Amino acid sequence: MKIIGLIAVFLCGCLLVYGASDFPGWGDPSSPASTHVSPYYIETTMEFTHVPNIVTSVLADYRGYDTMYETTVIFGAGIACFLLLRVVKKKDPVSRLYRHKATGITLRIKKGGKIPDKSNAFERIDSEWVPYDLIIQISCRLLVPLIQIFALYVIAHGHYSPGGGFQGGVILAASIILIAISYDLRSALKIMSERASAFLSAIGVFIYAGTGALCLLLGANFLDYAALDSLLGSGMVMARSHGILIVEIGVGIAVMAVMICLYYNLSSEGKQDEGL
Amino acid sequence: MNQHLPAIIVTVPLLSAFVITAAGWLNKKLCFPIAIAALGVSLYCSISLLISVASGKIIIYNLGGWAPPWGISYTVDPLNCLVLVAVASVAFINIIATKKNVEEEYPDKIGAFYTLYVLFATGLIGIVITGDAFNLYVLLEIAALTGYALLGMGSRRAPLASLNYIFLGTIGACFYLLGVGYLYIATGSLNMKDLSAILPAIYHSKTILFAFIICLTGLFIKMALFPMHAWLPNAYTYASSPATSLIAPLTTKVMVYAMLRITLDVFTPQYSFGTIGISHSIVWIAIIAIIMGSLMALAQRGLKKMLSYIIVAEVGYMVGGLWLGNRAGITGSILHIINDAAMTLCLFLAVGNIIYKTKTDSFDDLKGLLKKMPLTMGAFILGGLSIIGVPPTCGFFSKWYLISGGLAAGHYAFVAALLFSSLVNVVLFFRIIEIGFFEPFKEHVSGHHECITDQIAGNRIMIEEAPAGMVIPLVIVAGFLIFLGLMTGNIVTSIIQFAIPAGIS
Repeated sequence: MKIIGLIAVFLCGCLLVYGASDFPGWGDPSSPASTHVSPYYIETTMEFTHVPNIVTSVLADYRGYDTMYETTVIFGAGIACFLLLRVVKKKDPVSRLYRHKATGITLRIKKGGKIPDKSNAFERIDSEWVPYDLIIQISCRLLVPLIQIFALYVIAHGHYSPGGGFQGGVILAASIILIAISYDLRSALKIMSERASAFLSAIGVFIYAGTGALCLLLGANFLDYAALDSLLGSGMVMARSHGILIVEIGVGIAVMAVMICLYYNLSSEGKQDEGL
Repeated sequence: MNQHLPAIIVTVPLLSAFVITAAGWLNKKLCFPIAIAALGVSLYCSISLLISVASGKIIIYNLGGWAPPWGISYTVDPLNCLVLVAVASVAFINIIATKKNVEEEYPDKIGAFYTLYVLFATGLIGIVITGDAFNLYVLLEIAALTGYALLGMGSRRAPLASLNYIFLGTIGACFYLLGVGYLYIATGSLNMKDLSAILPAIYHSKTILFAFIICLTGLFIKMALFPMHAWLPNAYTYASSPATSLIAPLTTKVMVYAMLRITLDVFTPQYSFGTIGISHSIVWIAIIAIIMGSLMALAQRGLKKMLSYIIVAEVGYMVGGLWLGNRAGITGSILHIINDAAMTLCLFLAVGNIIYKTKTDSFDDLKGLLKKMPLTMGAFILGGLSIIGVPPTCGFFSKWYLISGGLAAGHYAFVAALLFSSLVNVVLFFRIIEIGFFEPFKEHVSGHHECITDQIAGNRIMIEEAPAGMVIPLVIVAGFLIFLGLMTGNIVTSIIQFAIPAGIS
């Protein structure tokens, strides 16, 4: 069976290569892809959107409608993961581990037992991975603000350099996930709760689609940022530029929240209790 | 506001998805009203669009204000306005009919369920309305992703069945995307109208041939054409009823629509049916699909799985009808998209009610059900008659067009396959009627004593219908099967005849 599969794949590959024999040459400036619609984007991006990075202007304006749905795909993935994985009813683990902060002594509380007291002297730790490593925790914590500033830079500079909401959002999420890895899941949940990540993912995409709907309410077509001019008062061209920035911010928020939400659910098998 | 209808029909359910997510965390009771309001707006828009494009008008809406081919545009024409109404109304009716079921099956996750529900509807409406080949792919992703999640909740075997679907569905979507990529390399355009203007000059190119074949193969996998149907029966059988009765009527039909759009609109019918010379083989594949789907349906002992295999056979109807390449066949194919959506919805809603009451869908537990749930079973039988093709239900008329298309094309094997499948459907549904109505009497053979107790028990069966909220929508859908059948003439003369390109006789 495996061999039949291999032969089938090989034959399909040969056919695809054969079908590619009519392709225009590599990097050919006279190929249809570089002569049909591309010149319009290259020539008008500054004139219409004031965004020198053509990738960004195509992605968020000329074909911004596709990008809105790409963001929605990410949002949908987060919700799908929640629906399939999240275990809402908590099953108490057989025993819990607590560490006395001052001495580093670990206590095991059996089922039915109670936490020593409500004071802050103890902290709950994961049952599987326990070594307490000050160096890792502190150095990761030092990295977090740097990562976040870089993420904001990537989001804001999508107009001028490679970057934008998707990339910046993932980097932002990485900072929270780094906390979850270097400390534990509960510490990360204290910084951004599950509820907050769910809200933010919805709000992020809502900013994108809502901007589109706002343009519609202002009388233009859906996602025609030029209509924002009447609110921003910056002229049609700059309104497009600002519109792109607004939706990029929305994308950044949504991507960050969904990545964090996915990490929470996947790492803890949906229990959001202990994990990795 | 009227000129914005093509945008509103998609963006209202899209925006509502985010509001529902938030509502799910604040107050779960709000999720359902928001979802139903959003789908109601979509349904209203789809009907207004249907009215405004009847008699052959075409509406083009440029998203972002960018004219095609540089921006993305929506096209509402006679080919897709009917499918839009079908998608919007199935999503709308199903959400009302399954409210109780959803509350019981997803008590803690109502917000997530309805979010995915409206996103799924958004995706399908977007696929149908879009005039951009790549935008179609993006919305295909949304519909598929939410579909996987909705089908993944259900019985213990649902996640595995859904995983299977993910693998095959992803392969199908990748094929489609690859085909669009080939088209872009050869033409530099993604807009369907623009593509159809550029393509005829370069039809001789191998790239175009491969683009066409790869796109079609991807769509064939997505629509579960035999032998690429393996993902469908298990995924639909093991999922929870509210998800199945949403996804089963719509997914395959919308994919058939996408195939129609590619073969008739992006490529010319002369190219699709003539130049490349595959139409004959595809009709034969469709014939095999019809026969195998019907035979496998015959082998099942559970309602949901039986219906799933009937869907496989129905996909064969529509694919075969299109590739006959004549006016009657294509009319039948388009008509069957709508009729099959209505019939499948009716049958799956009825099965949902049966499962809600009896907790099972196996044939052995249907005994006496006709007396116990007369309305549900009545609707189920009406759906069955429509699948068989008994006039005046709508199934008769689309089958009539398909058969006359087969005769006009001289494709008698296709006609024979259609008649064979109708006969099998007769056996399938009368077997269920027999179990549901007469079964207690059949025990005569096993022993006289048992039969008396059975008969007494049979007489004592009280009417135990599903809640009114589930039965009323079902009865409306069942009534709609006859309504659609009676309206066939109007639908064909005022809409479908404009959808078929002029060159086809």
